[in-house]
Amino acid sequence: MAAAAKQAQQLARQLFKLSVVDNVISTDRVAGVLAYVEKHAPANAVLVLKAYHRLIAVELAKSEARVEHAGTVAPAALAAIAAAMSKKYSRPITTTARAHPALLAGLRVRVGDDVYESSVSGQLAALALSV
Amino acid sequence: MLHSLFLAVVEAPAAAAHAAHAVAAEPGIVEKFGLEWKYVVVQAISFGILFVVLYWKGIKPTIAAMDERTHQIDAGLKYAEEMKNRLAATQQQTEVALKEAQQKAQAIVAEAQKTAKEFADKQQKEAIEKASGLIAKAQEAIELEKKKMLAEARTEIARLVVATTERVLAKKLTDADRASYNETAARELTGV
Repeated sequence: MAAAAKQAQQLARQLFKLSVVDNVISTDRVAGVLAYVEKHAPANAVLVLKAYHRLIAVELAKSEARVEHAGTVAPAALAAIAAAMSKKYSRPITTTARAHPALLAGLRVRVGDDVYESSVSGQLAALALSV
Repeated sequence: MLHSLFLAVVEAPAAAAHAAHAVAAEPGIVEKFGLEWKYVVVQAISFGILFVVLYWKGIKPTIAAMDERTHQIDAGLKYAEEMKNRLAATQQQTEVALKEAQQKAQAIVAEAQKTAKEFADKQQKEAIEKASGLIAKAQEAIELEKKKMLAEARTEIARLVVATTERVLAKKLTDADRASYNETAARELTGV
């Protein structure tokens, strides 16, 4: 069972590498990979597709900056954040804004597993931890 | 008494001379009493036989019995003396043994007292060490508990302060304040 999962993981990584062009996931390549899997039905196809989906989701999350905010955020600010993150990660990153009143005031940006925050609640939490 | 003997001795020679003349003139005493030597000899032999028989049957056993009794008495006395000496020696040995036993008993008692004292000292020392250890552990536990309580109190106070501040800020912050803060935050994040 463990050997089958390992083989599925390796195949999913190979398919994932084929899906990326210039550090960006290509929808055409993804469609081609799915067609290949559907046509040839490799061993443990379900496991391969699950692993492939997880890799694609992680990569897409790296290409998206989820901005949580309390209060209004100017579109220019979102654009500036997108530009800064694209420059930082050397890939085009888009932003999606979502209201989060618990922040009280400020922003929290998530790119993949990375979190950047400048908010009143974050500062209060840091203050509580430092005491 | 001495005077009469002296007179008898002095007058004896004269009397003897006078008696010699008288004997020569008169019949002898043997003739007077009618003694005959053959009867005297027979009487002497009878007496000798009687003496021999008496000596053999009576005197000699009596002397032997007396000698034996004397010997037994001497042996008894000797045995009593020996027993007395033995008793004295035994008493002396007993006294020596008692003295040695008393000395040994005193030594044993002293050793037991010493051992008991050492054991008591050891027990006391162990008890003191154990008590010291318990006190140290208790103090350490108290110190840890104190630190823990202080940390918990500090954390709780910080939580209450933060919660209160959040409530106050949630009520007091206006949209303009939030927008202004968001712009500042965006500038800060883009500077990352």
